[in-house]
Amino acid sequence: MNPHPPNPAQPLLQPAPQIEFDRSWFEDLNSRLDKGGPWDDWKLFNLAMEAENASLVSSFEEILCLSHIHGVEPLPHQTETARKVLFEMRGRAILADEVGLGKTIEAGLILKEYMIRGLVRKALILVPASLVLQWVRELNQKFAIPAVAQKKQHSWDNDIVVASMDTAKRDPHKAILLNNEYDMVIVDEAHKLKNKKTTNYQFMIQLRKKYCLLLTATPVQNDLSELFNLINLLKPGQLGGQGDFAANFVVDKRIPKNEEKLKEELSKVMIRNRRSDGDLEFTKRIVRNIHVELSPEEKQLYDGVTSFVKDQYHAAGGDLSSMLSLVTLQREVCSSRDAVFVTLVNLSKKLAPDSPLRDRIWDLVGIIKTIQANSKAEKAMELIREMNDKVILFTEYRATQEYLLKYFRERNMTAVPYRGGMNRGKKDWMMDLFRGRAQVMIATEAGGEGINLQFCHQMINFDLPWNPMRVEQRIGRVHRLGQKNDVKIYNLSTKGTIEEHILNLLHEKINMFEMVIGGLDVILERFEKEHSLEKSIYKILLESQSDEEIASRVDSLGRSLHKLKDELVKEPPKESSGTKLTELMGG
Amino acid sequence: MTMTMEQIQQYVLAYLDITECRILEKSPHHVTVKLSPQADKDLTNRPYYWGFIERTGAEPETMSFKFVFDAEHHDADLAAAEQNEPKPQEDQILGRHYGAIRPLPILGPSRIQREDLAFGSPRLKQIFDAALRRGRCVYLFESAAPRQRMTLLPAAYEPWLGVNFKIEFCCDMKREELRSLGISLLTGQIDPSFGTRLQSLSLVPRVPENVHIEPTRLSLTEGRDTLERIIREEIEAYDQTWAEEANERLQEELLLIDGYYTDLLRDPDEERKKLVQEQYESRRGEIRWQYEPRIVVSAINCGIFHLRWMR
Repeated sequence: MNPHPPNPAQPLLQPAPQIEFDRSWFEDLNSRLDKGGPWDDWKLFNLAMEAENASLVSSFEEILCLSHIHGVEPLPHQTETARKVLFEMRGRAILADEVGLGKTIEAGLILKEYMIRGLVRKALILVPASLVLQWVRELNQKFAIPAVAQKKQHSWDNDIVVASMDTAKRDPHKAILLNNEYDMVIVDEAHKLKNKKTTNYQFMIQLRKKYCLLLTATPVQNDLSELFNLINLLKPGQLGGQGDFAANFVVDKRIPKNEEKLKEELSKVMIRNRRSDGDLEFTKRIVRNIHVELSPEEKQLYDGVTSFVKDQYHAAGGDLSSMLSLVTLQREVCSSRDAVFVTLVNLSKKLAPDSPLRDRIWDLVGIIKTIQANSKAEKAMELIREMNDKVILFTEYRATQEYLLKYFRERNMTAVPYRGGMNRGKKDWMMDLFRGRAQVMIATEAGGEGINLQFCHQMINFDLPWNPMRVEQRIGRVHRLGQKNDVKIYNLSTKGTIEEHILNLLHEKINMFEMVIGGLDVILERFEKEHSLEKSIYKILLESQSDEEIASRVDSLGRSLHKLKDELVKEPPKESSGTKLTELMGG
Repeated sequence: MTMTMEQIQQYVLAYLDITECRILEKSPHHVTVKLSPQADKDLTNRPYYWGFIERTGAEPETMSFKFVFDAEHHDADLAAAEQNEPKPQEDQILGRHYGAIRPLPILGPSRIQREDLAFGSPRLKQIFDAALRRGRCVYLFESAAPRQRMTLLPAAYEPWLGVNFKIEFCCDMKREELRSLGISLLTGQIDPSFGTRLQSLSLVPRVPENVHIEPTRLSLTEGRDTLERIIREEIEAYDQTWAEEANERLQEELLLIDGYYTDLLRDPDEERKKLVQEQYESRRGEIRWQYEPRIVVSAINCGIFHLRWMR
């Protein structure tokens, strides 16, 4: 089972491969004969043979790892990609699938296969720091690969290490790694290697490796030479020298030539699966907006909080940065009185004992006390009873979550919580409970990996985050590869509040709920080059004098987002190279 | 190659039996077992604990496991059993947070960890490794027929060297073969399917009564060399296409690299040239490491077997 490092003493061309006899068995036998034992058990002797027989790699070209893997069921395109990398690309490849198609699974399959064949013992996996633990977990759980996260210097002694690129390329780690040789190196988010002048790139070039996988969803961001650099890490010369590449394949930095030829060369080192390639169709998203009428008391609280927040904003001279906790208040009031209450109490604790604001806060608390029911919770309950199916309910606020847990419990509805702050074990436990006996999961966190809820296809947005990416993350928990049903999304919004406008913006203007994954981030990235969307909404909220003004300003915000979206759709003529490039990679 | 659920079950039960583990509970789908000290050392990865026990002479407390072979059926069994049992009372306070409350996990030595054993699972791999580690080298005798004790003449026994070889054909991919060879250290006779012969015999670790062991005429080294020669001849007669193809790939890759570096190596700047030269060398090294065909022959296990001499 030992992989063999090169032996430079060997002559290069051999008529027949060298045969090496490992005689450690003979020494063992002799020494036991000398000492008169101890001798092993005959039955264990036979079990050893049986084990070897079962694990025997009987053929050069056949994927063995599938029978070893139980934590995950790879999709056809993932298995096919693994097969290509193993048997056609010979273990050096760029995996450039679009986001969400499972590059990690593909890399795991390939690594596992090499490990089973005894061709990889030592592997190094370099990923962004935030993904280290997630990689370790996936390799452990899905592939039973004993990977460890690099924490201390001695972590490098482990066979399979996951580390962040930023750590690896720095001394003293760098020296250790460059002194080693790795049977396999995997780099996630490899587009960070596109510039050959960076320390990342220089480090990768020096690292000694046998097999190598580079994972990126965006192999080309700006410039064709990025692709060239990436490929030179894997297989220098595949696209010729620098000069050849420029002469043969590049018209302008974004426009390729000799596409057929380039495509062919690329296909030898790169695989790009795309969502539109067929079997990868996502199911539909069906959106229903539910407008909830506030009770008079709730409406009173909403108005009270709104005017309180506005007054403070004007008093602060329109300075947004000092207003964040107050804006939170404005958002919370759309969710539940419990959420507002906690924030109000915290706020008043921070004030001087004689501050006049205290009275205003206590007035608000007084209103809270008059509220008997939560109209949204009632509506949610009604919805859940109606659908009679597993449902995940998202709220932004811990207090709302607590309230809902209690509310549902009192009505004999089994619900489990899910929070970002829970430790891994507890999160997994909650997931298990939800999969098993609980009908409802109430989650405050959508980001972060680990909640994959393909078995559930109903979700309720109890309140809406004002950042569309967070909404998208929520939906992404259920609407992902492997979801077999259309996903139903219920948005609860309270009438006559800012929430109504936000929902209007997200739903009507940019139609984000039904948008294909991957489109939204581009729009937002462009929009937020100037200013954050969330902040724009705050400003509208705080500065508008009337409901009509809010409506019209939200409307214009929507129009500018819409314009960006249209530009992106229409972009092909202007950015033809970009599309062609993508097509190129699709081939 | 792989193993079916039944094969895994048989295998694990055999291992537990050989290592003298105590079976606490057993169904067609699972086994609950208290490990013997040997199995505990093999499987639980607690060298410090065992070091402590051995130094202090304290009574060891081995771990217990529930190995599940057929998770689906076992879960169904569990669910059925649960139906018949009264539901535990829900805790008011915890229940608010967790809904239906689950019993607190049992910690400490009485805790029984459940492990689903399927082919490829780490625990099964550990059992395989334990077998490989503890089943390396044997010294055995064919057990004599009961009649042998009564006869006057002692039975003549012939010493054999038996080796289970593993042959690995590697390039960027790999294939393996097992060969079970035996050579008589008395006559030099070769048995090309020695493993099969051994399977048909009953073997014991002690010399049976009324048995005469013939002295060896071949040294162990001669025996080894003969077996290795046979393997070598066999391998050399194999189809070498795989190696030729690997060499072709290697040459192609080397050409690509040469093409890429030729220009760069003409750099007039000595410093830069040196760097490029290093890169070039190391890339060539990597490529050979990846593709160069080679064959490694090792032994899984071996032994001296004293078998009845059939003249």
